[in-house]
Amino acid sequence: MKAIFLFLSVTLFLLAAHTGVASEKTENKEKKEKKDNIVNVYAWPDVIPDFIIREFEKETGIKVNFSTYGSNEVLYARLRMSPAPVYDVIEPSSYYLDRMRRENMLEPLDRAKLTGFHNLDPLFLNKVWDPHNRFSVPWIWGVTGMFYDTHTALPAPARWADLWKPAYANQLMLLDDSREVFSMALKSLGYSVNDRNPEHIKKAYEKLRALSANIHLFKSDGVISLLADGEASIGMAWNGDLYRARLTNPALRFVYPADGFVIWVDNLAIPKAAPHKQNALRFIDFLLQAKVAKDSALAHNYPVANLAARKLLPAAIRNDPVQYPPAGILRRGEFQQDIDDQSLALYEKYWEQIKMGE
Amino acid sequence: MIRHLPARLYVTAIYLFFYIPILVLIAYSFNEAQYSLLWHGFSWRWYTELFSDRDLWIAVLHTLILGVSAATIAMWIGTLAAVCLYRYVFYGKQLLYGLIFVLILSPDIVMGISLLILFSVSGVQLGFFSLLLAHITFCIPFVAVTVYSRMISFDQNIFEAARDLGARDHVIFGRITLPLIWPAMLAGWLLSFTLSQDDVIISYFVAGPDFEILPLRIYSMVRSGVKPEINALCAVTFALTLLIVMLSQFFLRKKP
Repeated sequence: MKAIFLFLSVTLFLLAAHTGVASEKTENKEKKEKKDNIVNVYAWPDVIPDFIIREFEKETGIKVNFSTYGSNEVLYARLRMSPAPVYDVIEPSSYYLDRMRRENMLEPLDRAKLTGFHNLDPLFLNKVWDPHNRFSVPWIWGVTGMFYDTHTALPAPARWADLWKPAYANQLMLLDDSREVFSMALKSLGYSVNDRNPEHIKKAYEKLRALSANIHLFKSDGVISLLADGEASIGMAWNGDLYRARLTNPALRFVYPADGFVIWVDNLAIPKAAPHKQNALRFIDFLLQAKVAKDSALAHNYPVANLAARKLLPAAIRNDPVQYPPAGILRRGEFQQDIDDQSLALYEKYWEQIKMGE
Repeated sequence: MIRHLPARLYVTAIYLFFYIPILVLIAYSFNEAQYSLLWHGFSWRWYTELFSDRDLWIAVLHTLILGVSAATIAMWIGTLAAVCLYRYVFYGKQLLYGLIFVLILSPDIVMGISLLILFSVSGVQLGFFSLLLAHITFCIPFVAVTVYSRMISFDQNIFEAARDLGARDHVIFGRITLPLIWPAMLAGWLLSFTLSQDDVIISYFVAGPDFEILPLRIYSMVRSGVKPEINALCAVTFALTLLIVMLSQFFLRKKP
């Protein structure tokens, strides 16, 4: 699926270069649309709750058109292939945001209009994917770590390297995502999760081949169901998923691997030439308000990048080490970044081989 | 009785195979848990959430509006195409008929991309209108084929007799063709409506921000887990379908 979307985005990029005619017409349309008091939001499902949108509409009188996507590739392809810019607010993950920024697909944010900017956690600001946060503000984040179910009586893992132990034969459930699985091998070898050195990538591939006897399955969809029903004993999971599954299955444990882990961040941004820029800024600023971000967090259960909102959360959530690990642990994390197409192709090639059992 | 046993078993197995997935889906719409697939007790919770989820209902409404309009327009265009192919002899008729089948067989993704390119080049804003055009486009061939295959079972002489008696083309269409083919048109309409309701791939390419439809919404939920609310929606839809089928059987049954 990913491959298809990448292929499409390339095709459509060429197409977009072609549609000069369309964009001229768009300018006229833009003038007309400025009168419409709407904002078109395109985000991951479940991360901006329904009631928050209603609240925004009531407070500002701006109508929100809300639609959702299931992967960054879909978002990227859609922005690329749309005949005229239509979306006003998007929510890409950091590594895709980086790509969009470099490809000049984003509109700079007017900081003066973002009154809630000071609420944000400095830990997620001024990062490689968007220096000085000219184009984006962080919204939610998470960590890819290890989980195990205490029902199974397997020894608890402490670091990624532990997963290679023969005790876990045919037990591991790994995410069906090349970058995530490679990050596990790269970290256990002491490399960066964003490594572009072909030698290192090859070593990671060999390391993963040695793991094949322990791998039970690769899965990214419906992971929470398997965790909640105790059908997965040990493996790799996002802390947000584990937090939600643990509400049903208290025997689950989350481990922040000692040899390092991936931190992902989803950010709010405005695509280039968005038709309702001012409304988009107002929407983003609304989400930055501490109370709004706190109410959202209680609904979506992901860790939020809003420090002021975090302080408002109930102590049980605020102090939950699965959701909000102490700073000392978080320091071991590494932010996921975009890598060049050549390295990406190399990762994908090895990934295919691993999935085919070669 | 015993003689029929294998046949009965076979039919039972086939129907179970059709309906068990739907029954499982409905059963889970009453499950108390959000993520778990184990039974956590009976609850109406997802139905309550379903009826208070405004965004979801907007998507449902959009999907219905789109389906009804696309199916209705496609039904008329497709019927006219079938009548034309059946009644008239002209150069390139076989080619036209063949091209209809090409459309049925061509993969959705090809149609999606080609429509998107068309809309891009012609500057059509993506939204309801682009979706409607796309859905009409992929529904027409199905209607045309359904109606055409019904028409070739007719006696050609009926039309010639009508013409002999002085009926003009539009009278023949209104008084003879239409009454004969309406069941096929209805079948074509229902087929188009269904196709429009569950199309993801083509819609994915041509949908805009102000007109989200249900199939795309459900598709985007797969990663984080489809909520049981959707199961509840499917159960409601299934119950409505069942009701419509039962009513139509009741009203359309042959009077003794």
